[in-house]
Amino acid sequence: MTIGVLVDVLLALSLVGLSLQVVTGRALFRDLVLFILFGLLIALSWARLGAPDVALAEAAIGAGLTGALMLMAYRRLAAGGAADVSPARRRPLLALPVAALAGILVAIIGLSAQGVERVPDAAGTLVLQELSATGLGNPITGVLLVFRGLDTMLEMAVLLVALLGAWAVLGAAHPGRLHQVDRETPLVSALLTTVAPVTLLIATHLLLVGTDAPGGAFQAGAVLTGCGVLLVLTGTVRPRAAAGLLTKLLAIAGLAAFALIGVSALALGRAPMTLPGMWAVYLIETAMMLSIALTMTLLFARSRALGPEQR
Amino acid sequence: MTSTTVYLLAASAVFGIGVYGLIVADHILRKLLALNMMGSAVFVFILTVAGVTPEGPDPLAQALVLTGIVIAVAATAFALALMVRMFQETGLTSLQGHDGDD
Repeated sequence: MTIGVLVDVLLALSLVGLSLQVVTGRALFRDLVLFILFGLLIALSWARLGAPDVALAEAAIGAGLTGALMLMAYRRLAAGGAADVSPARRRPLLALPVAALAGILVAIIGLSAQGVERVPDAAGTLVLQELSATGLGNPITGVLLVFRGLDTMLEMAVLLVALLGAWAVLGAAHPGRLHQVDRETPLVSALLTTVAPVTLLIATHLLLVGTDAPGGAFQAGAVLTGCGVLLVLTGTVRPRAAAGLLTKLLAIAGLAAFALIGVSALALGRAPMTLPGMWAVYLIETAMMLSIALTMTLLFARSRALGPEQR
Repeated sequence: MTSTTVYLLAASAVFGIGVYGLIVADHILRKLLALNMMGSAVFVFILTVAGVTPEGPDPLAQALVLTGIVIAVAATAFALALMVRMFQETGLTSLQGHDGDD
């Protein structure tokens, strides 16, 4: 057994241990924090499996963003007077056997699937063979934007639907109640003036290198959301009651850019969703990044729009 | 035992634990935690069974997982919005209602 496998075993054991803690824990806040840790370890295991694109996305979105959303929701419940410690949980007799069977089933399916010999012309192999024709160096970006562009476009539609759904159930929002961070303290202002520009820089970098190296619109959008979350938490931007034209345009930018370029290929006599060139890749990715960042920040802030404080 | 098998077994265990958490959890946030862990387990599962190419795990599977991560966070965000609204309306944080106090 090499050191590498040993690391993998340790990581795997930590994953199982952490998930057990999260499920059986008593204090909800502690379990939320452990869940974020779990996400980071998942990201590490993806890095170990040789999938840095997915690792980046998991660290930024799966652990960071989901964690931030959950902590914010927890805080909203606490602010409304919900009990901190979750009420006594039911322990159905069948829970344990059902869970064990589910786990065993997954293991059996996976182990038998691993034994299946890989066909020489598997879709993933074809992607690598045809990648040079796309002008992209990163096969995952190639799949997302060129080979399976329709999937990615519809993914933006899912994000939009989630935002519209959240707006529909917004109810009587209480803007101005959640940002309790004192902006006058030196730490917060230093955080804002250093971290916010750096996140912008990292997001732009991730977006641009995404064509050839690990990165892309989703990772960049998630990092940009981090900047948005920071601005919301420090009260630099405040929730607004109604979405203006700019907010609406930015929310649909990714979907619209993808759809317009995809459909305009028909007018040029090509198959739909064919991208006319690298400029289209950058345009779509930029639009997607902005849409993702805005959508997720609005979902985090639980508001229809954000803007600078109005005096 | 190879690394992929190690992660496959871990993903299976986490999936089972997630199912257990989903069943026994009362608090909606806890249910969402369990669901998200099951999702992560499925993503690891997909990558470990997809097979490898000379340039790492199958790129199609990686793109699929990447898409899945984003969809999962969108669904979670919507579920959290629903939960907060339900709490505002009813003061409840579980789906059981008041009659299940045992």
